[in-house]
Amino acid sequence: MSDSILLSLSLLILLAGMISIPFLPHFTRAKAHLIFVILVAVITSVPAIKALTGNVPDIIISHAALFGTVSIHIDSLSAWFMLIINLTCINGALYGIGYMKPYDEQKANLSMHWILFLLFQSSMLWVCMMQNGLAFLIVWELMSISSFLLVIFDHKNKTTLTAGINYFVQMHIGVLFLVAAFIWVYFSEGSLEFPAIGTFFSHHQNLWLFIIFFVGFGIKAGFIPLHSWLPQAHPAAPSHISGVMSGVIVKLGIYGILRVVFLLRQDYTIIGEIIIILSVLTGVFGILNAAVHRDFKKMLAYCTIENIGIIGIGIGIGLIGIGRANSLMTILGFTGALLHTLNHSLFKSLLFFSAGSVYQQTHTRDMEKLGGLIHTMPKTAILFLVGALAIGGLPPFNGFVSEFVIYSGILLGINGSGPIAQTTLMIFSFAGLALVGGVSMLAFTKCFGTIFLGQPRTHLHQLPVEVKRSMLLPQYFILVVMLSIGLFPQFYFSIAHQIVLSLVPATSLATLPIPNSFLNSIAATGQFSIVFLLLMTLIFYIRKRVSLQRNIVTGPTWGCGYIAPTARIQYTGKSFSKSLGKLFNFIVLEKKKYREIAGDDIFPVKRKHSSHYKDLFVIKIFNTIVDRLLFSMNYFKFIQNGKIQTYILYGIFFIVIVFLGTIFKFI
Amino acid sequence: MLSFLLIVLASLFFTGIIIRTKSITSGRKGPGIFQPMKDVIRLFKKGAVYSKTTSIIFQVAPSIYFASIIMAICIIPFGQYKGFISFEGDFVFFAYVLGAGKFFSIISALDTGSSFEGMGASREALFSMFAEPAFFILMGSLALLTGHTSFHEIFASLHFGSYISYILGVLATFVFVMIALVENSRMPFDDPNTHLELTMVHEVMILDNSGFDLGMILYGSYLKFAMYGAIIANLFIGIAPLYLAIPIFICTQFLFAITIGLLESFTARFRMNHNAQYILALSSVSLLIFLGVLLMLGQLN
Repeated sequence: MSDSILLSLSLLILLAGMISIPFLPHFTRAKAHLIFVILVAVITSVPAIKALTGNVPDIIISHAALFGTVSIHIDSLSAWFMLIINLTCINGALYGIGYMKPYDEQKANLSMHWILFLLFQSSMLWVCMMQNGLAFLIVWELMSISSFLLVIFDHKNKTTLTAGINYFVQMHIGVLFLVAAFIWVYFSEGSLEFPAIGTFFSHHQNLWLFIIFFVGFGIKAGFIPLHSWLPQAHPAAPSHISGVMSGVIVKLGIYGILRVVFLLRQDYTIIGEIIIILSVLTGVFGILNAAVHRDFKKMLAYCTIENIGIIGIGIGIGLIGIGRANSLMTILGFTGALLHTLNHSLFKSLLFFSAGSVYQQTHTRDMEKLGGLIHTMPKTAILFLVGALAIGGLPPFNGFVSEFVIYSGILLGINGSGPIAQTTLMIFSFAGLALVGGVSMLAFTKCFGTIFLGQPRTHLHQLPVEVKRSMLLPQYFILVVMLSIGLFPQFYFSIAHQIVLSLVPATSLATLPIPNSFLNSIAATGQFSIVFLLLMTLIFYIRKRVSLQRNIVTGPTWGCGYIAPTARIQYTGKSFSKSLGKLFNFIVLEKKKYREIAGDDIFPVKRKHSSHYKDLFVIKIFNTIVDRLLFSMNYFKFIQNGKIQTYILYGIFFIVIVFLGTIFKFI
Repeated sequence: MLSFLLIVLASLFFTGIIIRTKSITSGRKGPGIFQPMKDVIRLFKKGAVYSKTTSIIFQVAPSIYFASIIMAICIIPFGQYKGFISFEGDFVFFAYVLGAGKFFSIISALDTGSSFEGMGASREALFSMFAEPAFFILMGSLALLTGHTSFHEIFASLHFGSYISYILGVLATFVFVMIALVENSRMPFDDPNTHLELTMVHEVMILDNSGFDLGMILYGSYLKFAMYGAIIANLFIGIAPLYLAIPIFICTQFLFAITIGLLESFTARFRMNHNAQYILALSSVSLLIFLGVLLMLGQLN
């Protein structure tokens, strides 16, 4: 079948799904939506896999009434992201069926949700395919709107609605920048097609247009200071939506940035340096915030920001590599970024799914209220643990592979006899990445330990039980894929490597092949991860055998002689990260609310003390700007005074001005 | 292979030497050098008590911790002889494998649901997090100096020529000693002999471990000591032939152990709430090394 037929078929299936779901009986809707998601995924994966193997599908719809010529072009970069989207969406759809079960009585709302999910998946896929500015913006907008509507599923809840609207507004600020960028290219080159951006770059300064694109896409991706929608929208959305959003939608910002990056013609070094600095800061900022928050979905959202930082470091390394004409560094940087995109979409959706299972069973997102869930939900606990290990970049899981590639890229940057400023920058990003790894260990031991280990901290009215198998299944699947990346990284590396080779402007790549030693070390990380696994098993086995012959007793936890311990004396998550929060109090702002004890408070009364962490950028920058804006707008309040007569007067003024303007040829 | 054997050998008497030094300086008779090993063997033979609060995590964590240390030791070379594992960028693997072990030791402490063990876990996570940048800056600078990115190649091509390089060697040794002290929770960052749970770091994390598990954790920390000793020895071995290299190795381990013993005899523990800053200051020493490397390469003109 030709690609255009396949793509039209996928559109037809989308339409069929959107129309048929409301007419199906209620109990079949969820399954129908899953089938449609899988169908769309399979059909769109065919051209994507084709593109990865070398024959790029290229479709041009000429003389379309609205857009002029629209080209649909699936190159290997699009294909990589399309496959990630399809993988995550299938998992999300399957998980979502089980997750949304408790909302079964909201029939209309739920069927809207399934329809939107279909639209959401397809719009994301089309974002990767469209190569025309206007068409791209339209599907981009469709994606934002459908995801916004998915986020506010629980729209009767005020915080959900606020978070959703916040997301919606921020996405449109992003679109504004994208529109500006495309219009700039259009006026300069007369075309909205993507290759026109390349021609623009070839005879203009690259930096400024790139920055506009970067801001537009960076809002989606969540680079600081453009990240503030993430920690609000992710907790508000249903968990499978957060999983897909964090796994994929954020990555489409990265897709956009990569798309523009590969069209750049000059200024590589300066752009690379800007991206690296911003990315290291994003990583450190994201993970520090993740470490202190007690809402576990918010914590995961901040952790997404951190991972965007890591991906950004990869992109920056790649760009500096192009600037230095160091082909190996280019390849390592971009390959690391692409691999980390895949890896993050896997472990972040795994984490959001297992966190969602916890939420479904306990109805709280506050980790301080939980504890000991490993006894009641052992499978979810182990899955979360695996996700936590992987996201910390610990072997034998997949996070290590991409971080290793990026570390190697940085090392090349250090060794590659660049100017001293760059070497220093590289050393700092090296240390920054290590610091991020360290803090993420703290953040995830805290999160896992507080939610799943110890004893329940509060009494839950409904005893949590392990979630249904249909919710666990996608998580097992993700686990298998993650292990396959962690243990056999060379396979995935070679795919990503091919993509980078096909995309980087050929002039800047010397024909030098990747030295074997590096390929060997990528393979070695996989092999030794296997050895590590085997060694663990062996030692555990020996221990098991030995302890069979020994006298094993159980008793209470050692309480230092205190004989009446309660679950409340357990170390809390807040105290676990308190000393970190205190050290970095200039980044993570702690707001405490309490009343000081006054001199005349003689008798003890019930008191309240609350403390929570605020986002630095929201508090110090956005809120200040918005406050000032509101203050100055106050002076113009008289214009909108609610009197219909004045409004008519405004109309008359306007008409008169237009009239005079035409007479005196002002307009 | 050689390095693995030597590290295991050194680990047998390392802690014994520390304890012996401490007993000599304080004028006590003290136990023999092999007493710590005898303790470990005795623990291996003992039964165990498990808390009712704990789960599977508590059971597997010591094994994973021990496995991670064995894996890390396999990466350490011995002069011109490679370790079992050697590839470009293997020190990243080294740091992250140790991280995996530490992750499990932290969550196993949280698994007991105790108020003290959580505190120790939190401190351990915080302190080792701050030690990480120091290690990476140091290794990055050494990579810049030698142009190689694996432990073996870095150490094999590291040779001291000018005055600056001697200073670098001293500084690097200092950083590694400090990292070893942080990673093994010794004075001045942590006092393993303190009697109060509130002031412990590592010791309080393993309060509930017993029997075989405790034996593994203890022996793991002896191995870790010897491993850092081996890294320090490698700074000086270079491409020396075996008949020189082995004495250098033994001397370094010996001196390292005595230094720790002396440190523990004559210093007090840092204030707990300033510990993190002290450890972070290590990164600035590492940066000093980076500066020195830039000087040596003549990039600072």
